[in-house]
Amino acid sequence: MSDAAHAHDDHGHHAHPTGIMRWLTTTNHKDIGTMYLWFALIMLFSAGTMALLIRAELFHPGMQLMHPDFFNQLTTMHGLIMIFGAIMPAFTGFANWQVPLMLGAPDMAFPRMNNWSFWLLPVAGIMLLGSFLLPGGAVAGGWTMYPPLFIQGGVSYDLTILAVHIMGLSSIMGSINIITTILNMRAPGLTLMKMPLFCWTWLITAYLLIATMPVLAGAVTMLLTDRNFGTHFFNAAGGGDPVMFQHIFWFFGHPEVYILILPAFGIVSQIIPTFARKPLFGYASMVYATASIAILSFTVWAHHMFTTGMPVASQLFFMFSTMLIAVPTGVKVFNWVATMWKGSLTFETPMLFAIAFVCLFTIGGFSGLVLAMAPVDIQLQDTYYVVAHFHYVLVSGALFSIFAGIYFWLPKWTGHMYNETLGKTHFWLSVIGMNIVFFPMHFLGLAGMPRRIPDYALQFTEFNQIATVGAFIFGFSQLLFLAVVLKTIKGGAKASDRVWEGAEGLEWTVPSPAPYHTFETAPVVK
Amino acid sequence: MEQMNTEDCEGVSAGAFVFQSRPNHSLTHGQQRFVFWSLAGVCFATSSGFALLGYWLILPFAGLEIGLLAWALGALRSQEGDYETLTIEGDVVVLEWHAGTRGERREMNRQWARVVCDCRTPGRDCRLSLCSHGRETKVGQYLSDEARLQLAATLRRKLQA
Repeated sequence: MSDAAHAHDDHGHHAHPTGIMRWLTTTNHKDIGTMYLWFALIMLFSAGTMALLIRAELFHPGMQLMHPDFFNQLTTMHGLIMIFGAIMPAFTGFANWQVPLMLGAPDMAFPRMNNWSFWLLPVAGIMLLGSFLLPGGAVAGGWTMYPPLFIQGGVSYDLTILAVHIMGLSSIMGSINIITTILNMRAPGLTLMKMPLFCWTWLITAYLLIATMPVLAGAVTMLLTDRNFGTHFFNAAGGGDPVMFQHIFWFFGHPEVYILILPAFGIVSQIIPTFARKPLFGYASMVYATASIAILSFTVWAHHMFTTGMPVASQLFFMFSTMLIAVPTGVKVFNWVATMWKGSLTFETPMLFAIAFVCLFTIGGFSGLVLAMAPVDIQLQDTYYVVAHFHYVLVSGALFSIFAGIYFWLPKWTGHMYNETLGKTHFWLSVIGMNIVFFPMHFLGLAGMPRRIPDYALQFTEFNQIATVGAFIFGFSQLLFLAVVLKTIKGGAKASDRVWEGAEGLEWTVPSPAPYHTFETAPVVK
Repeated sequence: MEQMNTEDCEGVSAGAFVFQSRPNHSLTHGQQRFVFWSLAGVCFATSSGFALLGYWLILPFAGLEIGLLAWALGALRSQEGDYETLTIEGDVVVLEWHAGTRGERREMNRQWARVVCDCRTPGRDCRLSLCSHGRETKVGQYLSDEARLQLAATLRRKLQA
């Protein structure tokens, strides 16, 4: 047989390895999606444990459980791991599972690159977690990596920079894969404006990632050269400008916030129409609103830096551009509510999480508007008000949408229905716990309690104690989530192909559980 | 994957059997250019701006990333011409395939051609080949298992006719 014939014979028909080799070498989008989701869950529990240690220390004023430097390490690593290790990989897991199924594609456009982008993540995760064991402990300069602290630390700072590079590389490869899959592998007839909104939000997220990742990579590399090679990009002692790092970091960092929330918008936009049994209200406006948010996200970065000193004209520009983002976000919230309006609503666990998302994310959005006002922000900068704001956005926003998405698609992935009672118990414990933790933080911030400190003045005690109790309720209720997932994987009532009565889309046309290979022949969408 | 199954195809006589399949590509050249230049524009504008301020180390990362994107889009473009065609005309069976830079055209005698359909589990993980003179060539590269089974049945019928 000729070489060419051999080559033709070989590709496309895989012998499936078993055991660990299946997971190491897999190029199947479903396997890789599953690995992303499990990795995200492990990281969620790791960084969640750090959060509980932080809250345990803050139960009383004064130092109880740990050295202040270890407290700083915990706050820094909690932020880094939650953002880069838990939320982003979880959404990439959803993209891996759902994008090909929603588009009628057999797999991602570059399956081997997909394998690489996943397997880089555990390496980076081990580096980050392992840095606690290094001399001097893990990084303690805050997840934003500001100099001069980040220039002065020990070897764990270099390791963290390397880990950030690796995670960035993984994100870039993942983004290129998602963009090419969405644009090139849509089933015949599935035009861009017929695509499920989850695919749209991921397409725009991938654009944002590609646009911003070189900025982060460059910024941390300049930190690395300042630390090790005698450059002075950000080192004031050598004529560098530490404030410029903040500009560069937030030029990446604010679009990053939308990278963390746009896929959440997509998930919720799939769930609400399903349980309202109505098509999504204002589909086109949702697409344009998502694109507007992404474009505007490049114009707001300095609202994180009002207190660094900037001309009034700049303050006004960044204040108004930040407020402007509320308009497309408001369009989205309006459309979700309008979709539910006069719908035949039922309240299964995914819908409960989606409704909680709409309500609580809106609270986070409003506190964001408060912080957008430069004179107010100068008062509230680095207080617990900011902590409350971004946790309402990222916990009740990003994390709740992840829970909603898991409950929504788990029957399709496993072939079994989850236990609705346990799911609803998890929802109520989470939503109550989350509000007990983070709502009092608004009051603490307004009263002037600074963030990132292990000790505080006596007048803040009660609200801190309430927050700590809430944190433990919220934290331990996630064990229930783990139990629900494991129980569903193990067994349960058989899920039908179209799991939910109101479900629409190609993913519901394949059997439950979704077969290992799907859509080898593209379906035709009318 | 798109497939075309026709008895009357240009260039072959009436009554010939032609089966053609090719991977699905929904990205047009115009869209490809838009994706590349929009991303390259944003990345290089941003990184050049920072470079002008003295923070030049962003620029090489933007270059590497856009290089990776260019490779990915180029790889998709190189797959646009992929196809697999099977023609049965008179006593000749012609199997022609093209994937990236590789390709092959093989002719077999209809009387000697044999359909081999091997499914690991019934109806699943199916491998379909045409075998002749001790040499096996895979068919139905871009098809699902169900479509391969259907094609196998059709080919057996056509080869025996």
